[in-house]
Amino acid sequence: MPTVVVASPKGGAGKSTTAVLLGTGLAHAGAEVVMVDCDPNRSLTIWSKRGTMPQRMRVLSDVTESEIVKTIKNHDNDGKIIIVDLEGIASRLVSRAISQADLVLIPMRATTLDATIGARALQLIEEEEEALDRSIPYALVFTMTKAVKSKQHSGIEKSFREQGVDLIEPPLMERAAFSALFEFGGDLYSMPEQGNMEKAIENASLFVQAVYQRLTGDAQ
Amino acid sequence: MSNNAFSIDLSRLKKQPKTSSTKDTDQVAEELGFSSREIVKKRGRKPSPRTGQVHAKVMPDTSVEIANEAKRRGVQQGVLIEEAWQLYKQNMATK
Repeated sequence: MPTVVVASPKGGAGKSTTAVLLGTGLAHAGAEVVMVDCDPNRSLTIWSKRGTMPQRMRVLSDVTESEIVKTIKNHDNDGKIIIVDLEGIASRLVSRAISQADLVLIPMRATTLDATIGARALQLIEEEEEALDRSIPYALVFTMTKAVKSKQHSGIEKSFREQGVDLIEPPLMERAAFSALFEFGGDLYSMPEQGNMEKAIENASLFVQAVYQRLTGDAQ
Repeated sequence: MSNNAFSIDLSRLKKQPKTSSTKDTDQVAEELGFSSREIVKKRGRKPSPRTGQVHAKVMPDTSVEIANEAKRRGVQQGVLIEEAWQLYKQNMATK
């Protein structure tokens, strides 16, 4: 089964939220999901202990640089989708996880700083593609976006599109329910109502479907 | 059907063959500043906290006995001297 790596050298870009929304969404749609927590802040592990874990999901904690390749190899043949949540720094662990990816998701807030630092991940992927002599599909997802796009957001989006970067639609909007995942654990279907739940579920579901299309090749 | 409801067809998911070797990617990563952040453990024996010294000349048979006993217990000879000193202090305290 495919491995999705959620990577950005920038902290606070929304990696763990993206990973949890994707993992819970895929599990809700019937997939078996293994979440690999490589972040020293242990965000996924904290989330997994807050509430009842959704069915068909499992979290592996504290996976290090020397263990990451073996951990992915051990799980990618048993019918499970692997989602790797990485630390928000530039490290060898990030590079090794990307080397095992079928899709790299790069969450990014629509700010110039996030775009500048996030671009380092794009550069790393392109260099790894050359070193490994294989294509590593990647897509960028804007996180914590507002209902009305700022000029900065539109400018960054236009710039990436012109460079041929795959942008996931819809972006993940700034929603109370998304941040509350780390307060209540579980998924959007099990948590107490937070803001407009219907819109949050719709946003997350469309995002998961967009990622699924990339994993099946339908998005190309 | 609502936009939220969809199910996954696992047979349609695509996976690429990958190598387990990290040699090439590690080098590329290093050049781009993605270097190892793991703490490298120091190799070898930890330094002993026993930094004090005694200057003792003893009879040859005593020296051999102390050496053999330390070897049997797997401790430094200084440990036996420390234990002997504790016993001496206890003994003096009860007098």
